[in-house]
Amino acid sequence: MNDQGHFLFLISLLPFLGAVIPGIMIRAGRNACASFTAVPTVLALILLMILAPDVLRGEVITAEVMWLPQLGLSVSFFLDGLGLMFAAMILGVGLLITLYARFYLSGDDPMGQFYTYLLMFQGAMLGIVISDNILLLLIFWELTSLSSFLLIGYWKHLPEGRQGARMALAVTGAGGLAMIGGMLILGHVAGSYKLTDILQAGEAIRASEWYLPALILILLGAFTKSAQFPFHFWLPHAMAAPTPVSAYLHSATMVKAGVFLMARMWPVLAGTDAWFYIVATTGLVTMVLGALIALFKDDLKALLAFSTVSHLGLLTMLLGFGTEAAAVAAVFHILNHLTFKAALFMTVGIVDHETHTRDISRLGGLRHLMPITFAIGTIAALSMAGIPLLNGFLSKEMMLEEASHTYWAGSTWAVPVLATLGALLSVAYSFRFIGHVFLGPVRDDYPHKPHDPPMGLWAAPALLTVLVVVIGVAPFLAEGIVTAAANAVTGADLHPHLKIWHGATPALWMSIIAVLGGGALLGLHKPFLSAWEAAPRPEAKAIFDRLLAAIIALSRGITEIAHNGAISRYLAVFVVTSVALGWIAYSGSALSAPTRGLLPVPAVIGIGWLMLIVASVAVVILHRDRFTSLVLIGIIGLTISAGFAYLSAPDLALTQISVETVTIMLLLLALHFLPKTTPVESSVLRRVRDGVIAVVAGGGVGALAYAFMLRDISTISQFHLDNSYEGGGGTNVVNVILVDFRGYDTYGEIIVLGIAGMVIYALVQTLLAGPVARKLRGGGAMSEVLREGLAVTHLSRDRHPLMMVVVTRVLMPIAIVVGAYIFLRGHNEPGGGFVAGLVVAIALLMQYMASGFAWTQARKRIEYHTLIGFGVIIAGLTGAGAWLSGTPFLTSAYTYVHLPPIEEFELATAMLFDLGVFLTVLGAVMLMLYSLSRIARHAGETVNVEAMDYDPADRVTERGAET
Amino acid sequence: MSWILASPIIIPFATAVLAFLFRAGPEGRWLSVIGSAALLIASIVLMVEVLDQGVIAAQMGEWAAPFGITLVADLLSAVMVVITGITGLAVAVYALADIDEKKEALGYHALFQVLLAGVCGAFLTGDIFNLYVWFEVMLIASFGLLILGGTKVQLDGGIKYVTLNLISTILFLSGVGLLYGMTGTLNMADLHGAVQRVDNPGLLVVVAVMFMIAFGVKAAVFPLFFWLPASYHTPAFAVSAIFAGLLTKVGVYALIRTFTLIFTTDVPYTHTILLWVAGFTMVTGVLGAAAMNDFRRILSFHIVSQIGYMILGLALFTPLAIVGAVFYLVHHIIVKANLFLVAGVAERIAGSTDLDRIGGLYRYAPFLGLLFLIPAFSLAGFPPLSGFWAKYVLIKASLDAEGYLIAGVALAVGLLTIYSMTKIWGNAFWKPHPDGVEPRLSRLPGKDRAAFLSPIAALAILTCIIGFFPEPFVQFAERSAAQLLDPTDYITAVLGEPVIAPVAAEPVATQPVSVELTSGEPVTPTREVQQ
Repeated sequence: MNDQGHFLFLISLLPFLGAVIPGIMIRAGRNACASFTAVPTVLALILLMILAPDVLRGEVITAEVMWLPQLGLSVSFFLDGLGLMFAAMILGVGLLITLYARFYLSGDDPMGQFYTYLLMFQGAMLGIVISDNILLLLIFWELTSLSSFLLIGYWKHLPEGRQGARMALAVTGAGGLAMIGGMLILGHVAGSYKLTDILQAGEAIRASEWYLPALILILLGAFTKSAQFPFHFWLPHAMAAPTPVSAYLHSATMVKAGVFLMARMWPVLAGTDAWFYIVATTGLVTMVLGALIALFKDDLKALLAFSTVSHLGLLTMLLGFGTEAAAVAAVFHILNHLTFKAALFMTVGIVDHETHTRDISRLGGLRHLMPITFAIGTIAALSMAGIPLLNGFLSKEMMLEEASHTYWAGSTWAVPVLATLGALLSVAYSFRFIGHVFLGPVRDDYPHKPHDPPMGLWAAPALLTVLVVVIGVAPFLAEGIVTAAANAVTGADLHPHLKIWHGATPALWMSIIAVLGGGALLGLHKPFLSAWEAAPRPEAKAIFDRLLAAIIALSRGITEIAHNGAISRYLAVFVVTSVALGWIAYSGSALSAPTRGLLPVPAVIGIGWLMLIVASVAVVILHRDRFTSLVLIGIIGLTISAGFAYLSAPDLALTQISVETVTIMLLLLALHFLPKTTPVESSVLRRVRDGVIAVVAGGGVGALAYAFMLRDISTISQFHLDNSYEGGGGTNVVNVILVDFRGYDTYGEIIVLGIAGMVIYALVQTLLAGPVARKLRGGGAMSEVLREGLAVTHLSRDRHPLMMVVVTRVLMPIAIVVGAYIFLRGHNEPGGGFVAGLVVAIALLMQYMASGFAWTQARKRIEYHTLIGFGVIIAGLTGAGAWLSGTPFLTSAYTYVHLPPIEEFELATAMLFDLGVFLTVLGAVMLMLYSLSRIARHAGETVNVEAMDYDPADRVTERGAET
Repeated sequence: MSWILASPIIIPFATAVLAFLFRAGPEGRWLSVIGSAALLIASIVLMVEVLDQGVIAAQMGEWAAPFGITLVADLLSAVMVVITGITGLAVAVYALADIDEKKEALGYHALFQVLLAGVCGAFLTGDIFNLYVWFEVMLIASFGLLILGGTKVQLDGGIKYVTLNLISTILFLSGVGLLYGMTGTLNMADLHGAVQRVDNPGLLVVVAVMFMIAFGVKAAVFPLFFWLPASYHTPAFAVSAIFAGLLTKVGVYALIRTFTLIFTTDVPYTHTILLWVAGFTMVTGVLGAAAMNDFRRILSFHIVSQIGYMILGLALFTPLAIVGAVFYLVHHIIVKANLFLVAGVAERIAGSTDLDRIGGLYRYAPFLGLLFLIPAFSLAGFPPLSGFWAKYVLIKASLDAEGYLIAGVALAVGLLTIYSMTKIWGNAFWKPHPDGVEPRLSRLPGKDRAAFLSPIAALAILTCIIGFFPEPFVQFAERSAAQLLDPTDYITAVLGEPVIAPVAAEPVATQPVSVELTSGEPVTPTREVQQ
């Protein structure tokens, strides 16, 4: 990379760096802000001019640094004739727009933001035209869409601006995405993402089978950006942007990005039938259609917008012709269109600014009131019409010349006639612009008294108009840049001569027809307008809106069907999916022969098995009676425990029994506050459906389990059996697995339990602080349900019977000793911290049941929350303690201790861990109970303060529960 | 080694206990912030170690794999833990302003930290049953966070959330049981070899499908994602953000882990399902978002849609596609969490998340607008933000694998994503507020403003960094994908050198095995030996 390469980086960076300036400088005033905005543009322009001579001589300046080489992306730039022309246009017009916007924007508009976006856009647009990597080009491409989005919506209070911005982004964004696909294919075929490499690989690409998909995808990007039919509709709606934006982005530069891309890719993609028919036809249609619509638009900006669409169509058509002469014409017209159209937009901005309207029907006669504006506008509009001695004439002649000898599907006349028609319509709307705005009588009903603006506002368009005339009169001045750009496009060494008089060519006659016809058409404008308005015509915006509405309606429909809020439906989908995918996965594969037979079934076991099934079926049938089904669930749980015991898993049996007990107790308490029956909510049909799903899914899981049980496998469990005593210091393998081999799992699980307790507490707490509490206290449907529920439990008047109180008190120490015993022996015999925690919890639960919540609560010394916390801390610290000895988390150690009065016993760190488990379990269960009891108190249930209803010690004969 | 691997789990647990004990006062929230910062540091230490040493493993309780539980970190695990640390810290700071004292007193910070621990645990475990445990930890903690506040919508969403997720974890547990019944082991590295020796490959695929569905529910893929849009818009914004960032991604992580390490015996079947799932997930998610008119609901549906992209990467199962999935995962967590954080600020100053009832944010809070634009356009895949690279890699991978339809779907979904993001932008930011409210950031108390905006800004900067300097990240994703597709390093790190007789291995075995194998140049000495 040489110095010139560094210049290229600087040029591309300057606008982005400059973009932060306006935001800061706006505090120093609007003039300072505008001046500082101009600085990076001017610097970039100077650098560009330094490079220009070399480029004009035919050199290509390149620069490259890697960005993401794995994906073929590098920050590489190259500047050739085409790039130079576009870069000069972008920077030059950018400078004029900066000046123009300074005077155009009102005091209420946040100018700093405007300039920031503008510079962002400028940087992105520059990036497009000098990128040497198609991925980089894509990035800049999307950035222009983004900055255009922000600029169109600049006047955010206008709904049209917001809609227009979103539409523009949707359309150009969609095109951009298509283009990503196209570029990826192109890079894949060419084997490189470097534009300069791809430009060399033209023939290989055109011969590839991927040529057509790539072409279509890339053209989608180009057509959407350059507003080609049928994607043209976003451009007129983008006119909600402030006029400087319209002039800059939506006529001079951004919309030409698509044209630029077609020109850039010309050597690679052009020259095939597909290219000709897609590109040239689209361009032709767009040109005629755009011009036709422009003729009938009353909004000046809409008129210019459609005229821009038409001229972009013209450029597209020229590039689509695929001949070198057409390419020269296209390049020349890009330049010319820029000058007159930007000037016209700025003129419209001035008119709007001064008269407060852009509606043609409310204008006319401005030539006396705004002579300078009139001069600028008229010259530019005449150039747009293609009147000799102005630059528009020259390129239009070249276009007509090319059109005159282009055949379309064997037809010799289609292209020339339509091209002439396009030119004719163009003349008509240009004349209309002049005639209906500036000519005619002065009116007295302008919304605002117009006069020429300050020089700051008209200087920029005036300068452009000067260019229009200069190029028009002395076209050879533009020859250098046009030649360089055309050579860059075609890859050939052309020496076009731009001149005014070509002799009496067909193009001249076509031109004459166009001008005369256009004039005549304008004369007949009124009848044509009424015909136009009477004629049914598809409105692209309406179609777009309807399409969008349809998509949204569709998605809303899908979403509402799928998310109807019914959990049963969600579950049905879940289960059906699982079964179906599982079945498809299984089908077709064979099973190996079973290696195990069925064990003999003793009668007792058979009965137990039958009980299990009967109880399960009974739950399904009787589930509406909640109390009954709870009892049945208890039966199931106990049978399963018995099953564990039978299958030599006493630990599991013990755990299952205690879990079962605690769960049923808590559920009973919860059921206390809930309706006792479940209402019938679903139809028979649905129940049958759900039944079928459930049976199939359950059967499937059962069959799977059965298949596994019939087959032997080698497992890691032998290791656990072998190492339990040696390594873990315990003979109860299950417990050693829980607290040692897989103590890490247990650690996670006690946290789950602790959190569950906490969550229930939190849930009840928030519920009781909210509307539920009010409902509980009185009134409302909920309370009815509750009272009904409470009535059932109040059947016994003896709430805290003497017998029960005494028994539970006696049981308490016994239960705690049993708990301690289970806890201590856990390492070697069935038991452990988990079961012990549950046993102690049951003992405590019984105190609550016997003597009531308040009484027991008053005798509680430690917060259950704290219990959980300590449990987790103890278990965690035990595990982390292993780090002190340099071993991994949860590594256990054990030793044998001999204390004189008792036998030698073992102390293991695992026991400490188990203590953590114990505390957490106890705390969590008690916290759940506590939470449930709180509901009762809120429901207005009476609270006892005594241990029992009748306390013989008090010798009081009647002492009931008090509030 | 052990403490490096365990500390991302222990630190949040310890923080949780402390925050729990101090839940009544303001100490809790600061403990949460400090703990999250410590987690971030621990995760970075872990990352440095993994970058330096390759895959590292530690055996809990010093029981050799596969008999005990192994913690293992490869690049994917490590980066997920780092992202958890980043998001965790961001949300912990955000919570200073977002979570009221009532929720704190009920243990918000403890639940939050337990959630982080569960997420880290899931990322770091090398044991399939242990993964289940962490799923449970996450589920219960997230349920707690979801219903904290106890409004009717929260409970409604919470019930759906917990029911569907519980069912899925039961399926997961059944799957674990059946897998053990078939292979006799639970260690994931060991399973890799064990599944090759299974007598009934047909049944194995059935079990694989069970895992796929169980994780699919977690990851919120089509047609199992119902719980997500039903619940994510209901809790506090800090909670939404951490959920959106991390929870579903644990499901995606689990899918990636199991379907690269274990269930690769019938790739044509399983990964074809995944491909369809990916396509439908992308489309249904984005269509759902198009139908919504609420800031958070739109974002929620977009989570679903984006999950589809990650699954797409897994389904294509080519190196580049996995690179895309990993990159997408990392990018998405940051961006998505951030968008929810922005939604929270918007709600606070503009009064609602209903797009019809808010507006004017751009005019009165332009800084917030910028902070929204960055993640929003990154999500939509606009260059040069992080989402562009993620989508780009996946689309390129699809095209390379000749999946033209899916590439087209991915592109079209990108367009609809833009549509949704501009819907939010147009309505919440550009449109004037319908009630004439002026939603200024200055309406927030100074302390709240800092707590709200600093995490958002930090995450936005991160998004930009990934966007502008994607190279190291892509490179990282490439290395990570290589590890995933060739699990040799992973397996040796966990199980030790595969076929070395005990005597011969003695000098090597005294040192940590993983160091030996992944120090970067293991090839040269081996080659010399061969010569």
